[in-house]
Amino acid sequence: MSRLRRFLHTPEAVAGAILLAVLFAMALSASLLFPGDPQAIAGPALLPPFQDWSLPLGTDRLGRDVLAELFHGARTSLAVGLAAAAAALVIGAVVGTLAGFAGGLVDEVLMRIADAFQTVPGFLLALAFVSVVGPSLGVVVAAIALGTWTGPARIARAEVLSIRERDYVAGARVIGMHPLEIAFREVLPNALPPVLAMSSVIVAAAILTEAALSFLGLGDPNRVTWGGMIAEGRTVLRTAPFLSIVPGIALVLTVLGVYLAGEGIVETTAVRRGLS
Amino acid sequence: MSGFTISRRTMLTGPAMLLASTAMPTLGWAQTPKKGGRLVLAADSEPRNLNPAIVASNGVFFISSKIVETLAEASFDGKDGLAPRLAVSWEGAADGLSATFKLRDGVKWHDGKPFTSADVAFSALQIWKPLQNLGRTVFKDLSAVDTPDDLTAVFKFAKPTPFQLIRNALPALSSVVPKHVYEVGKIEDNPANNAPIGTGPFKFGEYKAGQYYRLTKNTDYWGKDEPYLDEIIYQVLPDRTSAAAALEAEEIQLAAFSAVPLADLDRISKVPGLKVITKGYEGLTYQLVVEINHRRKELADLKVRQAIAHAIDKDFVVKTVFLGYAATATGPVPKNDPQFYTADVPTYPFDVAKANALLDQAGYRRGADGNRFSLKLLPAPYFNETKQFGDYLRQALAAVGIDAQLVNNDSAAHIKAVYTDHAFDLAVGPPVFRGDPAIWTTILVQSGIPDGVPFSNQGGYKNPALDALIAKASETLDTAARTDLYKEFQRQVAADLPLINVAEWSFISVASDKVGNIANNPRWAVSNWADTYLAG
Repeated sequence: MSRLRRFLHTPEAVAGAILLAVLFAMALSASLLFPGDPQAIAGPALLPPFQDWSLPLGTDRLGRDVLAELFHGARTSLAVGLAAAAAALVIGAVVGTLAGFAGGLVDEVLMRIADAFQTVPGFLLALAFVSVVGPSLGVVVAAIALGTWTGPARIARAEVLSIRERDYVAGARVIGMHPLEIAFREVLPNALPPVLAMSSVIVAAAILTEAALSFLGLGDPNRVTWGGMIAEGRTVLRTAPFLSIVPGIALVLTVLGVYLAGEGIVETTAVRRGLS
Repeated sequence: MSGFTISRRTMLTGPAMLLASTAMPTLGWAQTPKKGGRLVLAADSEPRNLNPAIVASNGVFFISSKIVETLAEASFDGKDGLAPRLAVSWEGAADGLSATFKLRDGVKWHDGKPFTSADVAFSALQIWKPLQNLGRTVFKDLSAVDTPDDLTAVFKFAKPTPFQLIRNALPALSSVVPKHVYEVGKIEDNPANNAPIGTGPFKFGEYKAGQYYRLTKNTDYWGKDEPYLDEIIYQVLPDRTSAAAALEAEEIQLAAFSAVPLADLDRISKVPGLKVITKGYEGLTYQLVVEINHRRKELADLKVRQAIAHAIDKDFVVKTVFLGYAATATGPVPKNDPQFYTADVPTYPFDVAKANALLDQAGYRRGADGNRFSLKLLPAPYFNETKQFGDYLRQALAAVGIDAQLVNNDSAAHIKAVYTDHAFDLAVGPPVFRGDPAIWTTILVQSGIPDGVPFSNQGGYKNPALDALIAKASETLDTAARTDLYKEFQRQVAADLPLINVAEWSFISVASDKVGNIANNPRWAVSNWADTYLAG
């Protein structure tokens, strides 16, 4: 069985993939379907959903189109989620590989730094970082990556510790390869799969962290974010609950989709490994 | 100016302003006042220093005005908009060098000692003038307070001081505290700052941090048969949504200072047993203002400022941001001020085409991306409405080709960015009009104010003609001439736009039908509540 077919035979993986596909479609089509500023005032304020078909999901407190905001918010969520996860994985993999392969003092120092980061809750770290540096998209990505790189680093290090004793690594040493070359060309690629398996969890967590930061008013105020939309809606929760519920549902489905698709990938690769 | 101490609440509510709208009939309830009962209400902040003589701010008054009284209180129908409290009459000398207050007889402090003119002299000279946030400006020329007898206090001024200003300052600035308690030790560290002792209808009971403040009835109060209530409990409910729920569950009987969000008022007004009251805050008017940094060369151009004024749809702001609970503004004095307001000022009706034309004339043509130039916009974080107006202003400016980038800060960072670092192009601020432009309105536009004074002109605006006008008004003693000068002040500000006044708003109370004598003066929420009662 090919990997793809195995993936497609896992129902949760398919569900996750569909959700993600929809999300990507939303993010990519946002500028086509809703050109211009999604925060522009489009109609009367607090229009409930399904009343006016030019504004199908209604409007918020200033009369901005909720559907347009939802599509543009998908962009921010995905961009932050993917960028933060990529940054966390890259930092984590590099640090973990260096620590594991070099051993000794380098290992000690890098892992104690990782410890230091792990003792502070990731969200708190992100919160402190953004409030000091000031909210913008890049800062939010960096803040989230700062709190999440330790997980991949530890896993990469553990993998590298076992891989570096393998024969082909010894072989590479014998033919005179530079240790850094061995670490990043021979060891890291083989240590990567378990690290990548964490990516879905990290992406999901990054999307949630970004939403939480925006909810607390620490997102980029010039960009639509789902967390920001939920926070805006909170002030009118009793009179216009849809303003918080709509982006809330979008957030739940996105995180669910990322997670299910990630699980599906892990499962298919795990089965393949088990069989081989 | 290290003297400007700032707590978040002081900022939020700001010291009160004084005078009321035109003759508005006192709200009458048909029931006769009933004695006894405990009033439970929502409090959204817990001021550390409860001494209103030092911290003249609404957050402090809300609690301590029931304990510590002022010389006079604002009134809808009293002469000059005042009703007597600790003073029974007041008169200014024609030369502006003295003001005489006759004090109420038979008043006792909560610890049993008699109230005398010595207490007034002590409060004025030792606290209002040197320590109070607002008194520092108003009483800056106060040189002595003579006490010829126990019931007469004569304020002496080194320079002529308009009595109109002193009168207008009485309700917010003249809290009298006991000399015998404060003359020992450092005034700022006195334990009575946290457990005030006054002459008011209620005594300080206890304070449990994060839970409640309890005030109990002063059985020795000077007012006949007053107070009616036995107890007032301020239940600390920092979350705004919880106040509405607590009212509906009948856990509290009153939520003042817009503790219930505007968006919920429509729904809650239909709940049987609850009423929404918009009166009783006429003396506490907040102004929604676009602060401008004139150091930016684009903004130093009057045409650009006029264009921004034309780009703002004030009616939309009142209708959408404030849900109708506000009024559009024409200038630096709010419409509901009975003494100084004039409508005869240049106005800027909403007109996008005109705004675009003005910007073209100023030489800022649209670039390829449709933008003329970019600005940094800092909305003050104290109110939901200031933040929402920031969102609106960004859109309104986009419509005329100005790209405004929002920068959100917390309170402390906002104050530092705007008033100390001047790291803004436009800011949205909520100054308070305090009943007299000389108390804290002219400072918003006059030049020569040191960096770091919060809520003052930190936009680098300098207009010698306006500065001269402000200086002249501050030393004009004749009430009519002084009032005319402030009308001219409004015209010049509206013409030259050192800042743009957008709207004026105040607070809303939601109360149980059982609470009587609500909103019967223009500063009701921060008055003494001696006549407030709970019907059976």
